Amino acid sequence: MTETWGQFKSFDEKKFEALDPEFTKKVSELLGGQDLAACFQCAKCSAGCPVSDKVNIQIHEVMRMLLFGLPEVLETDMIWLCTTCYTCQERCPQGIDITDILFGLKNMAFKKGIAPQGYIAARQSFYDMGRLYEPTDWEREDLELEDVPELNVDDTKKILDKTGLMKLEEVE
Amino acid sequence: MAHTYEVFLGCAIPNRFNNYEASMRQVAKGLGIELLDFDGASCCGTVVLKSIDENSWLAMSGRNIALAESRGHDIVTPCNGCFGSLKDTDHVLHDNDTHRNALNEALKPLGLEYTGKANVRHFVEVLYDLKDEIKKKIVKPLNGLKIAFHPGCHLIRPSNVADFDDPELPQKVDELLELTGAKSVPWGMKLSCCGSPLLIASEDVATKIIKEKMESAKEGGANCLVTNCPACHTQFDVQVLGLKDDNGESLELPALFVTQVLGIAMGLDPEELGFELNRVSLDPIAEILSI
Repeated sequence: MTETWGQFKSFDEKKFEALDPEFTKKVSELLGGQDLAACFQCAKCSAGCPVSDKVNIQIHEVMRMLLFGLPEVLETDMIWLCTTCYTCQERCPQGIDITDILFGLKNMAFKKGIAPQGYIAARQSFYDMGRLYEPTDWEREDLELEDVPELNVDDTKKILDKTGLMKLEEVE
Repeated sequence: MAHTYEVFLGCAIPNRFNNYEASMRQVAKGLGIELLDFDGASCCGTVVLKSIDENSWLAMSGRNIALAESRGHDIVTPCNGCFGSLKDTDHVLHDNDTHRNALNEALKPLGLEYTGKANVRHFVEVLYDLKDEIKKKIVKPLNGLKIAFHPGCHLIRPSNVADFDDPELPQKVDELLELTGAKSVPWGMKLSCCGSPLLIASEDVATKIIKEKMESAKEGGANCLVTNCPACHTQFDVQVLGLKDDNGESLELPALFVTQVLGIAMGLDPEELGFELNRVSLDPIAEILSI
């Protein structure tokens, strides 16, 4: 098991204060969340998941936590160790958009400040440069490649101001 | 037959795999595919931005699609990440009025509108359309090349979005590779994720995954790995450097882009295909490739 991410390590002796139906409802309203309640715990998602043997809480357990209305799910390592490979979603016999739901959960976690540092740095790059990385010019010159087409960063800043990318954090 | 596209390079290729772009351009030229510069392109959005905030992802990605649409062109990209992100955006916007209206509201000050007219394609899809042409152009057979082909996730999954090949038994790119006389060998972990999206969250877990993948490719009897994605290639040609299995054997295998394999078999100049920039040594297959 990895210790590199996530606060929620085990169900052992874990007691849950309340089951929150509002949380389940909120998740079912996420992009891809519409069929959440169809999960019958066959665990085929975890069987094909490339990180099942590398996380503390597996993806089928995440699905159960969602239906039980447990917001603690946002602290499991499965949320940010999902590789977004879409194998679970492709294979779910109930047609649940599992990977898409996980994206929504990542959004929720990010708002609460539960996110790896790399994502916080990436957000700044998206806003400041409109991209993640800069071109490596000497390689391009060697291969006689043209310059990468220019981007006016004001254009992307305008739309990211509108979506509020730099002000996502929930104020308590 | 006209094959004209705006080429969406994304961020990773100009940053660290200029050999992929160079070989794509050479192969495109050889096949009469016209690649137009994508003026004003930003990042595709990527799973990274989608993970942070879906509204921002749709806006960033949708703006790119609307730009191509405003110029009356379709988009082609050599990157699985960009392909997945742009296709996924198209998929969401097609069905979801709320998101489409929000995007168009944000695009209005830029004089753009998304209506969904521009198609998004992966470069290997375009190549597959031209497979008969490619077959005719093979002049340097690559007999003896045993390829572990890694399709990557977002080229094939989710299949209702990617809409390219069978998600459990993809064969189209293998077919293209085998036109060269090379063999695409079966290997156990062919369809599983390369692990590169985790480099930003946990390099430790990403490394465990690439080790498993490399062991599987070697067990399959491959003498090289081939990809069509810069994110996957980061794992196979950068992160793998120096990794060893439990017996201390190197896990490296020569890693090539699909366009380098096709290009060399089409008789194109190795220098222009950018082999100089491949990090893992190509010595074990240099004779087969005649480079």
